Amino acid sequence: MKFYFPDSQDLVSPTYDFLSDEYSPTRVRQRDDLYAHEVVGSQPYDGILVSKAIVDGSAKGSGKYTSAQRARLYRMGVRRFFRLPEGMESLGDCGAFNYIDEEHPPYTVDEVLDFYEGCGFDAGVSIDHVIFGFTPAADDRDVDPAWVDRRSISLNLAELFIAEVRQRKASLEPVGAAQGWSPKSYADSVQQLQAMGYRRIALGGMVPLKTAEILACLEEIDAVRADDTQLHLLGITRVDSMAKFKDYGVTSFDSTSAFRQSFMDDRNNYHTRNESFTAIRVPQVDGNPSLKRRILSGTVSQAEAVVAERECLKRLRAFDLGEADLDDVIDALAIYEALANGPKKKSYIDFYRRTLEASPWKTCPCALCREHGIEIAIFRGTERNKRRGFHNLTVLESKMRELDIA
Amino acid sequence: MADRYTLRLPALEIRQGSRRIYCFAVDGKKMHGFAAVSRIHRDEEKNLQGYQRPEVLSHIRAIRRYLESDGAMLPNAIVLAFDRRVEFVSHGPTGSVDYAVPGELVIPVDETQSDDEKPAWLVDGQQRSAAIRDADLAEFPVAAVGFIADGPAEQRSQFILVNSTKPLPKGLIHELLPETAGHLPPSYVRRRLPAKLMTRMNIDPEGPFYGKIASPTAPDGYIKDNSILKMLEHSIFEGALFQYRNPVDGSGDVDRMLLHLRSYWKLVQQTFPDAWRKPPRNSRLTHGVGIQAMGFVMDELTEDMPAEGVKCERVRAALQSLEPHVAWTSGTWKFGEGDERKWNGLQNTPSDVHLLHAHLKKVIRRAGVRI
Ligand SMILES: [Zn+2]
Repeated sequence: MKFYFPDSQDLVSPTYDFLSDEYSPTRVRQRDDLYAHEVVGSQPYDGILVSKAIVDGSAKGSGKYTSAQRARLYRMGVRRFFRLPEGMESLGDCGAFNYIDEEHPPYTVDEVLDFYEGCGFDAGVSIDHVIFGFTPAADDRDVDPAWVDRRSISLNLAELFIAEVRQRKASLEPVGAAQGWSPKSYADSVQQLQAMGYRRIALGGMVPLKTAEILACLEEIDAVRADDTQLHLLGITRVDSMAKFKDYGVTSFDSTSAFRQSFMDDRNNYHTRNESFTAIRVPQVDGNPSLKRRILSGTVSQAEAVVAERECLKRLRAFDLGEADLDDVIDALAIYEALANGPKKKSYIDFYRRTLEASPWKTCPCALCREHGIEIAIFRGTERNKRRGFHNLTVLESKMRELDIA
Repeated sequence: MADRYTLRLPALEIRQGSRRIYCFAVDGKKMHGFAAVSRIHRDEEKNLQGYQRPEVLSHIRAIRRYLESDGAMLPNAIVLAFDRRVEFVSHGPTGSVDYAVPGELVIPVDETQSDDEKPAWLVDGQQRSAAIRDADLAEFPVAAVGFIADGPAEQRSQFILVNSTKPLPKGLIHELLPETAGHLPPSYVRRRLPAKLMTRMNIDPEGPFYGKIASPTAPDGYIKDNSILKMLEHSIFEGALFQYRNPVDGSGDVDRMLLHLRSYWKLVQQTFPDAWRKPPRNSRLTHGVGIQAMGFVMDELTEDMPAEGVKCERVRAALQSLEPHVAWTSGTWKFGEGDERKWNGLQNTPSDVHLLHAHLKKVIRRAGVRI
């Protein structure tokens, strides 16, 4: 089972100073920064997924790349730009979620293939249009005509795409995108894609589905799936069900969720093999919007907040060295939390106690936990948060590896 | 130490017309005990109170790191406005001048006072004093200048006067930067390497830029320093010069960078000698739009080349392929169907730089040179 990590320009700066919370003034974004596969020690994923919409921008706005970075990606190719190690794969797609509100995908087959070939991807997904709904029993006549439309747009573009790949004698592996709103419609899409010649098919639009619904689709697809057709799940993790997915021909998937939980999830920020912990929030006084508002309005004294913030960091670090008492750390965190949040918001203090008592970073084998210790469990600024996300990727990777052995 | 005490500081009273100012030294660590850092906010009656913005913490951190470094010095004085509770006790005139009298400033300190009760307000030096307060130092005496103000309105006007001084002119900063040592603000640190390269290019007698970049010490130069800096910054961070850079400290192999630049731009000069000789108003090549677009071309053509290999047939051929398609000094640019511009219709804007760059790139590619 192969895991692809979708690129969203997530990197960390190796020269970031954690004590002063500052970047080196001469740091060059992306070039001096490092990807997860360059910092965690082991290889945290088997490949990266790069979306055209992220690189080029879309109707919704500009992409995550500066024009200089974009030019360099085209110039150097995906392998050198991302500094991919031997054996790591690259998969291109269009980033269909970025144009979900458009009536028609904003790219032509030529443009997309230019992107894939220009960047030198190993494989590329045909242009698709996401159907945002699931009605298992419905057929063409019962569903929103837009859904029917979107499925046939996706299939037409897939046909044009594979024809163009053959015409250009492109060296990349074509991956057909299947859309649907029910097990039947997905299975029909897969069948048609196989008839066009695809032997690798990516299933799109399944992110909001329940695991049972995904399994129902896979079961239906399995009835029509050729023995040598491999399936990719776009945007899906569901580690617990991966063994079952595998039985239905799924050989790869991609997802950012383990990474993003480190700073997007309310509580499950730091993962271990069997548990997850809440990261300890010590926001920067000048980086936290709600605290900033409270300072500007005069409710909180800035000097007082700075002192409280520092005290938290000082005690957390001392605790990690065995030089401070758990209760003293908790006291400092409670004072700062009250200052930062005011009386209204809920408290995380009990979750922090659990995190600190377990101190899971002390036993984590990943290079980041070994290097940064407790800093990785502190919810504060992008450098710590992304490192924690990278750590989560290593945990996911080890779960996946175990699954393959089983 | 007790919360309440009297601070007696040696001071010099200086007469300025009808006013008196006081020069003295004070331990920056103790200053917040008696001096308030007032911020703009509205009180309960919606009246304007205070007069300063909140502290800029990133700026404070930078000063603080400097203060904790070896040999740190803060020569410029902090400015304080006192209210009438602060007194000057004269020791009587000494020396031959009558406008300066030695004595003592007597400041009542009560550390339990809230900001609006304190006898002094910081008019200038808010970031510096916060940095001293936060720094990991036992003591840091600073020079200070104080005056006794008639009230908050006067303090406010002093604050505006002190903070409305003009920043240094950019050209001067670019010339000073390469020759500075020690601590600099982050934005200057970033610009130091490009500024250093530019200075060297301007004084390199073998180089095509010799004396051509306008600067305070090269008054006959006609290429704008800003165009060169932008070109260099781009190349150092995103292009051909990146290979010579040390990512850990941001320094670079300046000699090889110079060789790289000299080799490429010499070929540009040889290919377009006439356009190179003319100032920007007569040539788009020496104009910001040309320098930047040709800089992008350099990055694309020479990114993988070591400096020693830049002067080569491939780059020369690529530049020569441009010749029939450029309009540096006359004629029209033909960017495509229905998109024509008079030779001087290009401006130094990101979109025109992009347009020109795309055009040049296309011509070179059509000529069969791989970009
Ligand atoms: Zn770890």
